[in-house]
Amino acid sequence: MTRTISIHHLARVEGHGGIQVVIDGSQVSKVEFDIFEGIRLLEGLVCGRSLEDVTGIVSRICAICSHGHSITSLQAIEDALEIEVTLQTRKLRDLAYQGANIESHALHVFVLALPDLLGYPSVISLAKAHPEAVAIALRLKKLGNTIQEVIGGRAVHPVNYVIGGFGKVPSTDDLLLLRQELMSRVADCERILEILRDVEVPDFVCAPIRCASLVPQDEAFFFGDDIELSDSGANKRIPVREYRTLTNEYLVPHSHAKRSAHDHRSYMVGALARLTINGQRIGGMARRAWEELGLRLPATNILMNNIAQVVEMIYSLERALGLVSELLDTGVTPETPPPYHIRAGQGTAATEVPRGILFYSYELDAEGRVAAADVITPTAQNLNHIEDQMKTAVLQGAKAGASDGLLEQRLAIIARAYDPCISCSVHLARS
Amino acid sequence: MKPKIGIFGLSGCWGEQIIILNCEDQLLDIVGATEIVDFLGGSSVNDEESPLAIAFVEGSVANGREEEQLRRIRERAEMLVACGTCACFGGVAAMDAEQPREQVICQVYGADAAVSAWDIRPHRPLADFVKVDVAIPGCPMEKTDFLRATASLLNGDLPQLPAYPVCLECKMNENDCLLISRGLPCAGPITSAGCGARCPGYNVVCIGCRGPVEECNIMSLQKILEAKELKAAEIRCKLRTFAAPALDRTERGGLA
Repeated sequence: MTRTISIHHLARVEGHGGIQVVIDGSQVSKVEFDIFEGIRLLEGLVCGRSLEDVTGIVSRICAICSHGHSITSLQAIEDALEIEVTLQTRKLRDLAYQGANIESHALHVFVLALPDLLGYPSVISLAKAHPEAVAIALRLKKLGNTIQEVIGGRAVHPVNYVIGGFGKVPSTDDLLLLRQELMSRVADCERILEILRDVEVPDFVCAPIRCASLVPQDEAFFFGDDIELSDSGANKRIPVREYRTLTNEYLVPHSHAKRSAHDHRSYMVGALARLTINGQRIGGMARRAWEELGLRLPATNILMNNIAQVVEMIYSLERALGLVSELLDTGVTPETPPPYHIRAGQGTAATEVPRGILFYSYELDAEGRVAAADVITPTAQNLNHIEDQMKTAVLQGAKAGASDGLLEQRLAIIARAYDPCISCSVHLARS
Repeated sequence: MKPKIGIFGLSGCWGEQIIILNCEDQLLDIVGATEIVDFLGGSSVNDEESPLAIAFVEGSVANGREEEQLRRIRERAEMLVACGTCACFGGVAAMDAEQPREQVICQVYGADAAVSAWDIRPHRPLADFVKVDVAIPGCPMEKTDFLRATASLLNGDLPQLPAYPVCLECKMNENDCLLISRGLPCAGPITSAGCGARCPGYNVVCIGCRGPVEECNIMSLQKILEAKELKAAEIRCKLRTFAAPALDRTERGGLA
């Protein structure tokens, strides 16, 4: 008997995607996460543009991760031109990443995913039943945006990031305001823990999760020059410059987004992967959240990514508070970005954005124009892993006699657990 | 009965839906004053049939499916609001390229057979297909513009948006002119205001993300920049990053 399950247009995810599954007896003969987001060709369009223009264009790949796209793009240019940025610039960029992480995780966990866990179709109906949880989520989301606004000049598509540093560094008053905002949200995090402690994460899918994340550089959890791939205990290191040996991108007919696989097998990037590989670095209230919410790693339930995001959101709040205090202690110096010489070169950078590792690579010509651009987003890397988990869920569900409707619901919940950013995934890398 | 509204995204970065969700302090009020019946980005249960008092649409139209979706939204909606520069002017995906689109596609995807079967069209603004009642430009649109427009529409009014360039706001802020005193390629003179001249406030040039202001004189700015020894082709590219389809029309028909 053949059963077909299809979701034409997945709700509560960023962008346009659908799911198609065909079950033949006890076999799943097809699982396709279709990506039909309109093709924008931004990487191709930036070819020929000046290195000064390109970052403002590629940030438009995605609104939610626009700070990550901008800063990773700049770091790839700085790598090509061998520009050293100051410690202050690194700290301010780190701070912006914490803001992005708080905002993105608060949005995903509470607005897009929590309705699944509590059985509501949307945050609008969730707000009626749990007004306090939604109000707290909105306050945390706003905090993340305020940090991004203070450092990047705008919450979506930042304007203040330039090659080598910033157009203008934040003032002491700005940082004092941030510190106050951060401190007043600590109690909200405590309340979140109380609310989430009783939420049961469904466990209808059970499979090992192969993870990849950057190896943190010093204290900075989201920046590094090496990638670590966890493979049932045997971890592998890959330098960021050789990222293509991790991703091995290829094209499939049912998707406008390219796919990644390492050794012909899928891997996962994102909060769960970061905590699985680097979780020992997490302390403070985030560690307490980890324990109280029952996060056990390595996980075999991909839905725990939602819980990993909550832990990371609290980590980012604490890290941001630490960074702001350090910056206030040392004082922020108005710095002019270092001068640079335009020349031909090749540069690569990777950072951890909320959904996982983001890669940027540019080839620049002698006049400082982009000759080639390659961008690989977290969601593009996750697509194969999403399909693998969907396949397992359908097999395990069908064996237990789940109805089509139930399987459909589970497929959507799995896709959402990764917090997919489909606009991002249709970035279209150059081969 | 509360007015029914819908929020829709065509091809883009989801920026305007994020801006709507970023109205953290007003979101619950909006939910209280309206009935959000169709919002795929936020809800898995949607009413895709009933008439809408207001439809907010972000993104550009890049394939047949999106064109059809937009026409259906238009039929249902009393007021259709184009949100953001992609919806108003085409946005970055419609910018000029060094090579024809077919070649860019090959460059990005390789000359794969699957790609040739895809429905790929130039990105166009909404007004190329349907009547647009209100256009809120910006990449992304400003939160305040969205809130003011929503409040006006709910009260039966049309919102007023600035019909003057970024330069005016920049002068009001008493910024040093990046174009005249520092010789930098600033798109402020031809770009619609409403952002409070944010970029020049950070010592960064305007890149034109809000699209062309009414009656902009692009040739005049081009001459100023050429006198500053910038190459004509490069200037043209810079000024046409966010609104190439709209500027094509301006060039064909004189001033906008």
